[in-house]
Amino acid sequence: MAHREPPPPGTTNATAWLFLSPWIATFALFGLYPFAFSLWASFTDYSPVRAGGSRFVGLENYGRALVDPAFWSALGNTAVFVVGTIPFTTALALGLAVAVQPAFRGRTLFRVGFFMPSVVSVVVLSLIFKGLYATDGAINGLLAALGLPQPAWLNDPRTALPAIMVMDVWAASGYYMIILLAGLEAIPRELYDAARIEGASAWACFTRITLPLLRPTLLFVLVVNTVRSLQIFAEVFVMTRGGPLRSTNTVVYYLYEQAFYRFDLGYASAVAYLLFVVTLGLAFVQMRTLRTTPEAAR
Amino acid sequence: MSSTERAGVSRWLWLGPLLATMLFPFAWMLVVSLAPVSGGSLARALRGPWDLGHYRALFETAAINRYLVNSAVVALAVVALNVATAALAGWVLGRRRVPGERWWTLGIVATLMLPKQVLMIPLYLVLARLRLLDSYAALILPFAADAFSIFLVRQFVAALPPELEEAARVDGASDWLTFRRVVLPLLRPALAVVAIQSFLTNWNSFLFPLVFIDSDRLRTLPVGLALLSQTEHSVDWGFLMAGSTVASLPVLAVFVASQRHILSGLLAGAEK
Repeated sequence: MAHREPPPPGTTNATAWLFLSPWIATFALFGLYPFAFSLWASFTDYSPVRAGGSRFVGLENYGRALVDPAFWSALGNTAVFVVGTIPFTTALALGLAVAVQPAFRGRTLFRVGFFMPSVVSVVVLSLIFKGLYATDGAINGLLAALGLPQPAWLNDPRTALPAIMVMDVWAASGYYMIILLAGLEAIPRELYDAARIEGASAWACFTRITLPLLRPTLLFVLVVNTVRSLQIFAEVFVMTRGGPLRSTNTVVYYLYEQAFYRFDLGYASAVAYLLFVVTLGLAFVQMRTLRTTPEAAR
Repeated sequence: MSSTERAGVSRWLWLGPLLATMLFPFAWMLVVSLAPVSGGSLARALRGPWDLGHYRALFETAAINRYLVNSAVVALAVVALNVATAALAGWVLGRRRVPGERWWTLGIVATLMLPKQVLMIPLYLVLARLRLLDSYAALILPFAADAFSIFLVRQFVAALPPELEEAARVDGASDWLTFRRVVLPLLRPALAVVAIQSFLTNWNSFLFPLVFIDSDRLRTLPVGLALLSQTEHSVDWGFLMAGSTVASLPVLAVFVASQRHILSGLLAGAEK
């Protein structure tokens, strides 16, 4: 057990605790305490704009969410977003990572260029795409020049969510490219050399060496991207405000509306906990199903 | 021409157009921001003439200057606090100086998995109770210690040979002196990564500043831009793209200047 290990000679534990205390204080006050406080709030009708104390309502808030069609449509939109972007983002990121891994002149330029959307504010990216998607914007200008029909994109409930999803694939793939690149660099080159000598094709090398050995990194990318995609908010806030006809309303946007337009903070806390449970559950299922497979296959 | 050079040329042939496509939105932003009348149309903007009129209008909007100052104050304060807390806690955890070090580190990794947005309402409630809403403190204090930064420094410290610190201790240096004179200089590369990543994240932060700040005079640039785009400047693409360019320049400058650090820092983070 760790607590039986003597401290290294000459160290004072008091100083060690002192050095840790800024983090412990921040984490306790702005991490653990809010987490616990809002768990309590989710069982009450807490609202800062109403006079008088809050009343314990048991599971009412959770029940309300589960019968609210707006909550379910937000959850559905979020699910479509997650399922519809992650395969494309992962595939694009993997393709880019494989393409920029070997040494060639100008490799850094491509790595930096593809990563660029990841360092710019999501608000800026969303404003740019709002302009590009405008009915008389650059994308429709191109479609008109090609003689193709020009959708209303963000103003049409059928195309608004897919339009935001396309932007997300563009914006996120560079980040995951860099993470996958780290995984690629960790694969021993000798494996490829040996395979080449045996006469394996590039495709065989990719499917038999790269993919299996990249599995832990791919799993990491999948989990991180799922957690992130479930929280999608700024894009929706800037581009559509959840519309048209609630077609781009996501769970976090719904949460935001309930908490800060209706000031129904008890209810919003319950929705936040539901989202937390869904996120944790999905991450757990992904790790369980994907982690065990490579061992079984070997 | 060697085979690697030939491979490089063929890579350029298909990666080049792909990169151009992916960077096209940024080119659009820049061109529209420079064209006095474009209505957001690229073709019209490219016909020129170009000038800095939208940038002039931007900086004549008093609010924008305030947003810029707020963004800078908040981002720099968070970076400074982050570097300090990460250096202190990372050193202690990396040297296993506290009982149950393994559990503390596990706790840090666990908070990494916690999506921050889930904490939005809880944090709002706590800040309301502490009467910190609508202040710089609301944007700085909750973000003063970052789990990823501490973890990064901890990993870095664990890989450092402890001899120098031990020598300082044998010479009778106090913990604080050892930290200041011996450890901090050694930590510089890790702290650079922490500072850069913390700056990029906090300069771009949107949800928390949106929710925690009510007064216009305390708004940060991303929130200010987003709200302006939905009120008086809703289709003023030149103005909005000038604002977007200004909001992007600091992060792009930091990124380009330190891309080696950022890319390697992310690589290190991904290998945990």
